Amino acid sequence: MNDYEYILKTENLRKSFGSLEVLKSIDLSVKKGEVICIIGPSGAGKSTYLRSLNQLETITSGKIYIKDELFLHREHNRTIHRVASEKQKAMMLEMGMVFQRFNLFPHKTVLENVMIAQILVRKRNKTEARQKAQEIIARVGLSDKLDAYPSKLSGGQQQRVAIARALAMDPEIMLFDEPTSALDPELVGEVLNVMKSLAQQGITMLCVTHEMGFAKEVGDRVVFMADGMILEEGKPKELFEHPQNEKAANFLKSVL
Amino acid sequence: MNKKIFAVLLCIALLLPVMAFAQSAAAIDVSGVALMNDGMLTVGCEIGYPPFEEFADDGVTPVGYDIEFAQALGDKLGLEVSFINTAWDGIFQGIDVNYDCVISAVTITEERKETMLFSDPYINNYQAVVVPADYEGEIASFLDLDGMTIALQKETTSDILISDYKDTKTIDCTISANEKIVTCFTQLTNGEVDAVVCDSTVAIGAVAADPDLYKIVFTDESEPEQFGVAMGLENTALQAAINQAIAELTEEGFFDELTAYWFGAGE
Amino acid sequence: MNIIHRIVNIKAWKHTTKTAAIIVMAAVAFIIIFSAINASQEEMMNNVSDQMKQTIEAEKDSTRKRVTVTYNSFGFIKYLSVSTSGASATKEAYIAFAGQIYPANEGFTRFTGLMVNYTYRMLGSGENILHGVKLTLLLTTLSMVIGAFLSVFLALGKISKNLIISKLCSAYIFFFRGTPLLIQLFVVYFAVPQIFGFAWTGLFQNPEAVYKGAFLAALIAFSLNSAAYCAEIVRAAIQSIDKGQSEAAKALSMTYGQTMRTVIIPQSIRRMIPPLCNEFVMMIKDVSLVFAISLMDITTISKTIMTSENNYLVFLPALIIYLIVTAIFTYIFGKIEKRLSIYE
Repeated sequence: MNDYEYILKTENLRKSFGSLEVLKSIDLSVKKGEVICIIGPSGAGKSTYLRSLNQLETITSGKIYIKDELFLHREHNRTIHRVASEKQKAMMLEMGMVFQRFNLFPHKTVLENVMIAQILVRKRNKTEARQKAQEIIARVGLSDKLDAYPSKLSGGQQQRVAIARALAMDPEIMLFDEPTSALDPELVGEVLNVMKSLAQQGITMLCVTHEMGFAKEVGDRVVFMADGMILEEGKPKELFEHPQNEKAANFLKSVL
Repeated sequence: MNKKIFAVLLCIALLLPVMAFAQSAAAIDVSGVALMNDGMLTVGCEIGYPPFEEFADDGVTPVGYDIEFAQALGDKLGLEVSFINTAWDGIFQGIDVNYDCVISAVTITEERKETMLFSDPYINNYQAVVVPADYEGEIASFLDLDGMTIALQKETTSDILISDYKDTKTIDCTISANEKIVTCFTQLTNGEVDAVVCDSTVAIGAVAADPDLYKIVFTDESEPEQFGVAMGLENTALQAAINQAIAELTEEGFFDELTAYWFGAGE
Repeated sequence: MNIIHRIVNIKAWKHTTKTAAIIVMAAVAFIIIFSAINASQEEMMNNVSDQMKQTIEAEKDSTRKRVTVTYNSFGFIKYLSVSTSGASATKEAYIAFAGQIYPANEGFTRFTGLMVNYTYRMLGSGENILHGVKLTLLLTTLSMVIGAFLSVFLALGKISKNLIISKLCSAYIFFFRGTPLLIQLFVVYFAVPQIFGFAWTGLFQNPEAVYKGAFLAALIAFSLNSAAYCAEIVRAAIQSIDKGQSEAAKALSMTYGQTMRTVIIPQSIRRMIPPLCNEFVMMIKDVSLVFAISLMDITTISKTIMTSENNYLVFLPALIIYLIVTAIFTYIFGKIEKRLSIYE
């Protein structure tokens, strides 16, 4: 039982780049442990939405709640309320992100990649960090690659390291921005398996993805976005088989 | 009693001329002059303008007309002499910063007098025209340079003179302005230019070194340039001391001997 | 320990290292043997003509010396010249090699003699460290090190979100790149002391206080100047790092400082090496400007020689020396670049 209702909630979230409005009022509520899959055509604003949550993009308007606490409230590009910076840091630590292009640190080994933020940010000592890193790297199945440099790994292996790197920080929410889109088809499976096991462990996940199979298997909810708006959301089975929205239906027809 | 007094007086009388003579051979009094280094006359020059100043083979010992002149000054003033080799580009800025004066074939001009003090001139120099030794024409004035290609050293009085002639359209000529004087002579030897206009002293030196290659066809004695020792505007004490030294050296025939030694034909 | 092991285990040396080692040892042996059997200065002086010897003898006690004796020794090859000055200057030159003394007044021996003499002077041998090649190396290396160090701060400042710092750094870079180095040198050497009431020379003890003072001023001017140029190199390298790197670091909640220090700058160093090497090599030539404040570098010495001797032979050793210096540093930078690419 938690002392909050929604681990993550956005109200009327808008984002414009200059005069171009990319997100036109996104309302979304996520419960702890939920696996949300965000799908939709390109340009829909899916990645932008994800990046707005962990402050890689700054929203133009709207409210963001983390664990029911108002993290940020902006209107017309002006900040109305923002939580104190100490609190801000703590809240952002609850979110980890996995990128489409992995973004591993190429000048550091696999082990170092997973250790570095633990030491610098979580202030763990080296031994602790190393232990945790080895543990997590083992969980993603790459124990034999501890001292390898990312350039020597396949795409799938790199992405798994990226997931380990994010997990090592013990976040409560994991954001996945098209994690398998840059992978060769035969490498997609190993990454999805890792993500599935994560889902089964009860971590809250928001995934922007085109992998419908994954969504069906593990997703608790599927959200369809187009033109900067959520047009439909619901359980994967229902949404895939009986889409209500016309755009969603068209999209699914072309994808499934 | 009288004899003794007379003897003493006689001795004194005899000694007086000796003392007087000793007095005149003593160094000029420089106690009133502020020097950069005590007991030393620090001289700035660009050691790369033969025959006035250049390095001997060892790359360390300066030799030249100005060098020997400076050393003679040092002797007269009872000072040691040291040279600070500086590019012409910054040489005057270094006065009273690194050295007391500049002795470096510096022509005395009205313009320069506004920013620095000059001693009396220690050498006279004219503008001369040097041509190949087998040149058959006659040049009686600069106007005869019309239509020729002329080499000269940048930013010297030769440069100003010929450029003036050209700019006022008094004569029509092509000017090849070089950074180094030796380039001018190379151009003359190679036939790239018809004549070189430069200081007469340098010309004499060049001809003396290669009489088969060059000859001086014209010297403009109407407007002599004079070289002087340059120093800071307020340094009147040093100026007075140096002028006195120059006067004494002239009387002793020092400059005649020096010119003969360095320029072969004397002036 | 590892390095000592690697040095001792000769069998495992790379082929090129072995070849290089053999060549070096052969050269050293050559130099030692030929220096040992070579004629001494006295023996060379004996060969000088009687006329010259008389002149030297006559001058021994006078203060005004008209004869200069030059002795340049590289051990295995030596050059001796005795020259008089003035309009009727004469010169006698000799070279000593393998125990034999040869007159060097014409032909090939003269050429060899001149090369020995010019090289000796340009290396700055026999002079203090602020002369010739030594000056060039010292000034360039120190200025680049200091300048590169400063440039990192300038670069970070220019891309900083703080408007004041950003504008200040931009202004600095704009000023120092937009004005000639010679004028910057003059300002530092002449103007600054006047404004603040001190003298560069006054900061040091004689002897050579003038040169030390000039060197310090030159070092400051060159460092400030190279900092500006390097700052743009550093900035470009930093900004060329994929944006995803800083995004990943931010997603891991790393601070800006931590990101710069551990992620961005280490990766950007490798990209800075070629343009920094370029900057270094250019600065080697810029050093010739310091003649304006009384320091003599290779170019100045060769210009001086050229004026005195009226021939351009001096450029041969000058060019070779510059090429060797450039080659050494290009090699060093290349090795550094290789070192930093192991992860790619």
